[in-house]
Amino acid sequence: MSSPSQPPRSALVAKLTRPVARPLAATYRWVDERMGISDLTHQLLYEAVPRRGAWSYSLGSATLIIIVLQIVTGMFLLWTYVPSTTEAWESLNFIEHHDEFAAIVRGMHLWGAYVLLFVIGLHMIRTFVSGSYKKPRELNWIVGVILFLLVLGLGITGAMLPWDQAAYWTATVVTHVVDYIPFFGNWTQEILRGGPQMGPETLTRFFAIHIWLLPALLVPLIGLHLILLRRHGEHGSWVNYEGVESETEGERATRMAEAEYPYPAVPSDPGYAVPMDLDDFFPSQVFKDATVSFVLVLIIFVMAVVVGAPLERAANPAALNYVPTPEWFFLPLDQLLVQFPQAWMIPVGVFVLPGIGTTLLMLVPFLDRSPEREPWRRPEVMVPALFAILFLIFEALLAVNRLFNL
Amino acid sequence: MTPPTLVAAASPHLVAIPISTGMATALVALLMLTHIQFAAFQQGGYIILAVTDFIGWKGKDARKDRFSKGLVTVLGATFAFGSTLAIFATLILFLGLWSQFFVELVRIMFWPLIVEAIAFVGEIICLYTLYSQWDKLGRVRPLRVGLELLLFINASIQMLAINVVASYMLTPRPSNSLALNLLNPTEIPLELHRFVGNIAFDGAMIALVGGIRLLLAKGPEGKAYGDWIGHYGLVYAVGFTIAQPLIGWEYAKEIQLHAYASWYSMMLGGLSVAFLFQVFLLGAIFTVGIFYLWRRVRASGFRAPTLAVCAALSFASWLLIATPSSLAWSYEDVVAANANVPIWQGGLIIPWGQMIPFKLVALIVFTGVAIVAVTVYLKHVSKGELRWGDAGRGQAAALITVAIAISLMMALMGYIREHSRAPFLITDKVLINQQQNFNPPSSAGPALDGPAGVGIIMPWDSGP
Repeated sequence: MSSPSQPPRSALVAKLTRPVARPLAATYRWVDERMGISDLTHQLLYEAVPRRGAWSYSLGSATLIIIVLQIVTGMFLLWTYVPSTTEAWESLNFIEHHDEFAAIVRGMHLWGAYVLLFVIGLHMIRTFVSGSYKKPRELNWIVGVILFLLVLGLGITGAMLPWDQAAYWTATVVTHVVDYIPFFGNWTQEILRGGPQMGPETLTRFFAIHIWLLPALLVPLIGLHLILLRRHGEHGSWVNYEGVESETEGERATRMAEAEYPYPAVPSDPGYAVPMDLDDFFPSQVFKDATVSFVLVLIIFVMAVVVGAPLERAANPAALNYVPTPEWFFLPLDQLLVQFPQAWMIPVGVFVLPGIGTTLLMLVPFLDRSPEREPWRRPEVMVPALFAILFLIFEALLAVNRLFNL
Repeated sequence: MTPPTLVAAASPHLVAIPISTGMATALVALLMLTHIQFAAFQQGGYIILAVTDFIGWKGKDARKDRFSKGLVTVLGATFAFGSTLAIFATLILFLGLWSQFFVELVRIMFWPLIVEAIAFVGEIICLYTLYSQWDKLGRVRPLRVGLELLLFINASIQMLAINVVASYMLTPRPSNSLALNLLNPTEIPLELHRFVGNIAFDGAMIALVGGIRLLLAKGPEGKAYGDWIGHYGLVYAVGFTIAQPLIGWEYAKEIQLHAYASWYSMMLGGLSVAFLFQVFLLGAIFTVGIFYLWRRVRASGFRAPTLAVCAALSFASWLLIATPSSLAWSYEDVVAANANVPIWQGGLIIPWGQMIPFKLVALIVFTGVAIVAVTVYLKHVSKGELRWGDAGRGQAAALITVAIAISLMMALMGYIREHSRAPFLITDKVLINQQQNFNPPSSAGPALDGPAGVGIIMPWDSGP
């Protein structure tokens, strides 16, 4: 605390920083008058969010932060990586042995992808359990599923880029699998391989898909996802709607009338347009989002430094005894393949069953149309979903055991 | 110091315990099958305890609180008996009757067994703290639930350790690498099979108690509680059994790949008939279980037509395709009947894992129908349509039947698994008839004389 004879500290700080602060403030005002930064910031930060269960809502923001991290680390890798079958492996080998910073960046890109898929999975489970896909948020769920599929696509195409043994044989398997697509299989295979056989063009095509095609689809869809989120507001967890069933018409009307932006969500099931208790996005939710994102980025960094990203021997098409193992997020699919006889393996294991699963996932909002949000009152979706998740976990574990004993 | 096995091998004056191999095998089998039932009850019970106590706490449900307290009391008592059986098995039967096997097992699996022993101590501490301080711990509910989870983790570690041993006995790796032997080809499938099976078994035992309580209840309150316990246990029993056919199928595929003789014995050979009886029991569990779900909803005054269809489908499947009478006993019988041709040529062979098709079709029907039935039943429960106490003697009988079927199935599975390795106790390593002749185990010989002392495989050992 300052004594009466001394000026207050804030006044002192203001006096000392005045030479810098004044021109900065003037510059900001000049830019703001022309670009409307204050209004935009206000729009972005000042909205209402559900109060209860807020930590679990940070998974969406964390996903966005990690995607940004992937873009940034990917840009750094482009400085060194050469997308050619003769130099791709050499360039990464150089990074691993002669450029410590780039090796960490490469590790962060790999572990960022792993953590991203894990966080997206948790985000989807959270959204599913809380029934957040229900009216009016059906489209946002579908966009989310497409985003998940795109990230899986980024994962598999990214795994091919090092052009080491793992990458080469992964590319071989993937381009072999697409041959089974009815009518268009051979055509698709040639498009991806750049010819009837694996060759130099295969790598450049997957490189283009990884850094241009998929991000070009991903970024606008993320924008759409956020716009839809802001339009309807965060639904949150079912705990934010406890008591809506016993609410009187008058109480509900008052709640709707007093709702802060962006609520009430319309069209909505009665009682579910506005959470019972709201909080400010800034600073309350932003703090939680930042904390979770920071922890995840820290984990990614530590894993990048401690474990790093593997690089096997350079691709050797003649090494026929090499056994390719899939990335962990494709382990359930890999295990599914061995459940079927040879003739059915790829058509059923890769296309029919995963196709049915993906379609059902997309259609969840239209299959579960009841207004009920509490998970234990929705066994018609929760029980099959529980079995589906257990099935994926079990298949992944069984795949690990099988691949370990090959 | 000379290892004890070498002393035995070098001393022809030592005589075996005067008991035949058959009698020794029968004694070990009887004790182990009983022990497995208790161990399964403990492991499955701990997770059901933690879940029930947690949802009872969050939902302020006095009935679940009462159930949790009852369950921890029973678990305390059964743990005492089950662990006594285990110690008796180790000290008397394994060391006395199957010493060759036990020495070989400890040599290879020393570290997993040490881990199991440590987790056993952890289980004792957690369980008896809960058992003796239940009400006091109730004042700090997160601590009690945390302790229950810790108890479950301890039991799971023990199960993992013993599954490593059991799976190794069926599919050992020809290597001194501890990692390879730990994660041998059937370890994870067995782990999953038992993890899910233990919860289903525990649910069935809870359903059994519910059924008996229903039959013996004097007043409406006792009947309501018995009815609820029966329902609660049966949902676990049938719900978790749903996953078993698929996990079992994948388990069988690994056995087919890595221990073909055992697989052949189980699926097509002499044990095929026992396996067919397994499918029969599985059919009983699903059919009677779904029948219970349907009749239980009906008892509260709701028609539940979907459940009726599920019960009918399951019964038809059980009657027509899962009963042993409609199946060939072994592959030799199939060959004798000239039916070893594809099914589309009038035979019994399908291209899907060489299984006899009826069995496979039955498993698929049971699994699909049971998922629908459990889901529909839980929907009725979630709507609050069931009044506890409405169940009658028919439902009580169904609960008891499911419990007996699951218990029998577990015992039969143990019988099949152990006999599939015959004449080996450890596939290709230790013979069952070596146990009483005090010859050093064939594969242990070099290791006993080697630089590793008594030949215990260490975590850092690798290679063949």
